[in-house]
Amino acid sequence: MVLSRRLLLAAATASLPLGRAIAAEPILAGVSGPLTGPNAQYGAQWKRGFDLALDQINGAGGVKGRPVAYVFEDSQADPRQAVAVAQKFVADPKIIIELGDFASPASMAASPIYQRAKLVQFGFTNSHPDFTKGGDHMWSNSTNQAEEQPHLAEFAAKLGFRRPAVLHLNTDWGRTAKDAFLKAAPGLGLEVTTAEGYLPAEQDFRPTLVRARDSKPDGLVLLSYYADGALICRQAHDTGLALPMLTATSTYSPKFIELGGAGVEGAYVLSTFFPGDPRPEVQSFVAAYRAKYSQEPDSFSAGAFDTMMLFATLCDHYGPTREAMQAGLLDIKDMPSVIYGKVTFNPETRRVQGANYRLLRVKNGSFTVWDGVKAA
Amino acid sequence: MSQPLLHATGIFRSFGGIQAVAGVDVAIAPGEFLSIIGPNGAGKTTLFNLLSGHDVPGSGQISFDGKTITGWAPERIASLGIARTFQHGRVFGNLSVRDNILVGAHHRLRAAKPHLPGLGALAELLIALIRPASVAREEQALAAEVAEIATLFGDRLTPRLDQPAFSLSYANRRRVEIARALALHPRLLLLDEPTAGMNESETAEMTTIIGGLKAQGHTILLIEHKLDLVMRLSDRVIAMDDGRIIAEGPPEAVRQDPAVIEAYLGHSHIGRAVETVT
Amino acid sequence: MGSWLDYTINGLIIGNIYALVAVGLALIFGVSHLINFAHGSVYAVGAYVGWACFTYLNLPLPLTALVVIMVCGGLGVLIERLGLRPLAGAPRIAPLLATIGISLVIDQVLQILFTPDPRALPSPLPEWRITIGSGTIGALDVLIAATGLVSAVVLYGFLRFTRLGWAVRATAQDRDAARQVGVDTDAVNRAVFAIASALGGLSGLLVGMYFNHIDPAMSFQATLKGVVAQVIGGMGNVPGAVAGSLLLGLTESWGVALFGSSYRNLFSFVLLLLILVLRPNGLFASARTTPPEPMTGTFIAPSRVVRVPPWAVGLAVAAAICVPLIPAIPYVLQVLTNAWLMAMLAISLTLVAGTLGQVSLGHAALLLLGAYASALLTLDSGWPVWLSVPTAGVLTAVIGTALVAPAFRLRSHYVSIATLGIGEIVSLVILNWESLTRGPMGVTNIPPLAIGGLELDSPQASYWSSLAVLIVLAGLQLRLLRSHLGRTFRAIRDDDVAARAYGVSLDRYKGIGFAFAGFGAGMSGAIAAHLYSYINNETFTSTVSITALTMVILGGMGNVLGGILGAVALTALPELFRGTAEYRMLIYGVVLLLLIRFRPQGVLGTV
Repeated sequence: MVLSRRLLLAAATASLPLGRAIAAEPILAGVSGPLTGPNAQYGAQWKRGFDLALDQINGAGGVKGRPVAYVFEDSQADPRQAVAVAQKFVADPKIIIELGDFASPASMAASPIYQRAKLVQFGFTNSHPDFTKGGDHMWSNSTNQAEEQPHLAEFAAKLGFRRPAVLHLNTDWGRTAKDAFLKAAPGLGLEVTTAEGYLPAEQDFRPTLVRARDSKPDGLVLLSYYADGALICRQAHDTGLALPMLTATSTYSPKFIELGGAGVEGAYVLSTFFPGDPRPEVQSFVAAYRAKYSQEPDSFSAGAFDTMMLFATLCDHYGPTREAMQAGLLDIKDMPSVIYGKVTFNPETRRVQGANYRLLRVKNGSFTVWDGVKAA
Repeated sequence: MSQPLLHATGIFRSFGGIQAVAGVDVAIAPGEFLSIIGPNGAGKTTLFNLLSGHDVPGSGQISFDGKTITGWAPERIASLGIARTFQHGRVFGNLSVRDNILVGAHHRLRAAKPHLPGLGALAELLIALIRPASVAREEQALAAEVAEIATLFGDRLTPRLDQPAFSLSYANRRRVEIARALALHPRLLLLDEPTAGMNESETAEMTTIIGGLKAQGHTILLIEHKLDLVMRLSDRVIAMDDGRIIAEGPPEAVRQDPAVIEAYLGHSHIGRAVETVT
Repeated sequence: MGSWLDYTINGLIIGNIYALVAVGLALIFGVSHLINFAHGSVYAVGAYVGWACFTYLNLPLPLTALVVIMVCGGLGVLIERLGLRPLAGAPRIAPLLATIGISLVIDQVLQILFTPDPRALPSPLPEWRITIGSGTIGALDVLIAATGLVSAVVLYGFLRFTRLGWAVRATAQDRDAARQVGVDTDAVNRAVFAIASALGGLSGLLVGMYFNHIDPAMSFQATLKGVVAQVIGGMGNVPGAVAGSLLLGLTESWGVALFGSSYRNLFSFVLLLLILVLRPNGLFASARTTPPEPMTGTFIAPSRVVRVPPWAVGLAVAAAICVPLIPAIPYVLQVLTNAWLMAMLAISLTLVAGTLGQVSLGHAALLLLGAYASALLTLDSGWPVWLSVPTAGVLTAVIGTALVAPAFRLRSHYVSIATLGIGEIVSLVILNWESLTRGPMGVTNIPPLAIGGLELDSPQASYWSSLAVLIVLAGLQLRLLRSHLGRTFRAIRDDDVAARAYGVSLDRYKGIGFAFAGFGAGMSGAIAAHLYSYINNETFTSTVSITALTMVILGGMGNVLGGILGAVALTALPELFRGTAEYRMLIYGVVLLLLIRFRPQGVLGTV
């Protein structure tokens, strides 16, 4: 116990920006997420977004003279470890909010613990519709599939799709997305020819694509993450399947283009976040991100950045206590955000409405804003 | 010969074109001591495996006490009272000597055969967990019996009853195997080279023990290379070569049989052929 | 039907890819009788070495391939020398576990060196394609097919016509006899590992290029599919591995055609089980069978048990009961509660793997069964939790035993592969049987533990309930081990042929063993479900199975106290080493390897 306490403190200090150490006691957020295991890549993206936000917050003197910091506990997105981490956080009075976990089994297993301790669990990647129903201390600014999918369907219609085929990850996220898309489609004159689920570890999509092709669609809608989305586009390209592709916001990542190569050229990508977006909060985020990491941000790092900024703002406006976090989330209005233009939480669903959706198109190996021309 | 206890007729078994056992007839009468001799690869052990149910003959019939047992599983054959030992010695390495011998008594355990058709396995589990007094008594009686069987081997096993079998000498493992076979209360004892790897004095000791078993009236089928032992104990001897019986009869007659002498000489220089992998 | 041609071609293409991995696995199994679970890791290393050659050195493909072959061949030699040769005299389970440990270490090193992000590995081959049916085949497809075929032909020629090949075959046939006629079997092993690993690395490179995607997680999937393909073709049969891979690819592709992608792996694993049960020597094995007096020697290490004095056990139990009396340590209680739940799984696994000798690699499936059974009984049938948890144990015992029953006739490695397959099947059925299980959305709002109106949702109550169940289960298991069943189970483990010769029915006792084990594991899963309030098909993954096996080995196979000790150690240690986040799994793998090497019988010894 003594040992782990020391390590915790070590971790806390380690996440402080070294340049401008502020003497006062830091305000701490606890982060529960994957640093190892199969989802480690997402934890790594989170860290980049968090650290960038902290550079700005603490660079500007922190909050009320105190630096903001986070303690990142590796849960491997495994429920067993996530509940242990939760107990650790709730028992530590210095932690005033919890961010994460990544996957639903881990996040939702920990929810009862946070709820009982009245520590806000802020799941910024948790799109499972039941996540915020776990208790009144479960909040999320994850893009909401009930909101996103009608937008995606609308763009499908605008692109001239009449009979799209849907390929979706067969996980809680992919299922939520698919159900929302299928619900929105008929009202927009779309007749979905088939909806094919696939497993997260899948790499060979050729037979799935043949199946989709045989349903005679005029376009493919991918409810995928970027890695599998890229594989699908590539294999469609390689097998000569010349259908326009429309993909969900979760595929927006530089990796989508890197992994997809020629296969994703011409693909339409829905996004809530686009580096070319002229809004100042986007521009400053993108510029800072490129400067710090020499790479392009994606929607995971943008979400993490938004969340850490939100945390700092909550501390600043409502005070650095657990109670203030809950009160602040109920009260805060029009918080500027990279993903959303302005963030206001719905006190009933404890989620955010009104992300900025725009359609991008991959052209010459980079994302560009869709020019409004229908797909062939 | 009186009604044979075990009767095998027309037994064939081949492995990938090689006839390991090719048309063998064996019969053993109650109380008889029958030995099978023959050079390596003659098919003796294969025949044992067929008799004990560890292998199934390609054709032929085996009956025990008038019941046809061809194709029966070994555990079913064991429960009829046929006990065997193995050529290379197969004791349960991590079990104590006592437990090794107790496994021999498995088919007699009442705790293992609760009278509940269909749910027998479940009942057996529950009885083991509850351990009623009758089961404790049964185990106690068996433990006493094990101690008694062990005394057959002088002081070889008795002081080692609680040691794991892997710590025993090779000769002692062979003794444990025979003790285990006796715990089954066998009606027929199949011994596969019980003195393999033993030195002269150990062999002599084992000869005495097996002779004692014979004297107790056990029916014994023995595979053995040491002809002295065979000559001393056998009522009858079968000589095999290339899967066939080449001579059969009283020990001395078989020993003098020219075909037997030829078989032993002819095989003395055969090495092991290396077969293919792919 | 034009599409059937497409499905067939796609099946052959992916089958081709599986073949590249399966050939190496088959070669190693043929000679060492070892399923090399580290083969996928070598394959991943090949992919990353290729990536580094392209990215940093701008090497052309042939040179890159050469570097990959040399590095991976060298890695193979290293694995053989450091990981496996020291275990030559060890029981047969040791090298199998060693390859799992090596795989953990290599994967983790890759992840630390290259980050977990997926990377692109673009193919430098010219972009030409020919149209077949309504699909196309490209240069890379041809290269992969050619590599598979050429390597199979070259291997065949090597085995048939060279002196080293002769030695390899001789060693495969009978290691001792080969040694007696002067074959240097160590050199043969080294050569085989070098060749197989070089081929594995090359496969990683080519497959990475094919998908334009490499990541450290690629290793496990590759091993899994390679092993399945190999079993179909016949373990250790090189041409059979190629044929088995193609058949696997076709089955998957046609399976997707009929039922969709979510069912794909279900087809692979059902095919695997069918083959294991109906033709355990593989589809292409010759009719020749070996006589059934196999070599003696056991799968489990011989050892003396460390006797823990009863007063020490009593003291430990008393201490464990008193822990929650210390105020304000919910985190410690949660970690220990997790440890008790894992301990239930570990003693369940130690019964089947240790006492009964059936090393299961799919034990996490029992947790899933128990968790779903209890969750659905409370939510859909309105059962009270105190009743649903033990009922879930019983259901898990029944379903688990029924599922594994077809594998009762299998031995050693085959049991491990079969249970691995059964575990995956359970998880996939839960994913796909939506009307019952709610599919990928999982089960939400599972009520907390409660007895009557008394809710046991505080950390203390969860702790005490889990500990109480564990104590009862452990007590029962110790009782069972002291009965004739313990003796019978261990006899089966040590030598099932001899056990049968004394009237022990394998089906009956394996059934009893798995049922008892299923009950405990099912209870553990059920309690976890009520603690977590949410479960889905990914709550308990195959990683949990491997972790549980490590706990069992750490404590000593078959050893109840050892299993509990292993569970506490391996649940608590990673928590203590939280500061080393990224290195946690690496440390874990190294500890596993050291254990297998220096104390294969575990801390408390095999019972």
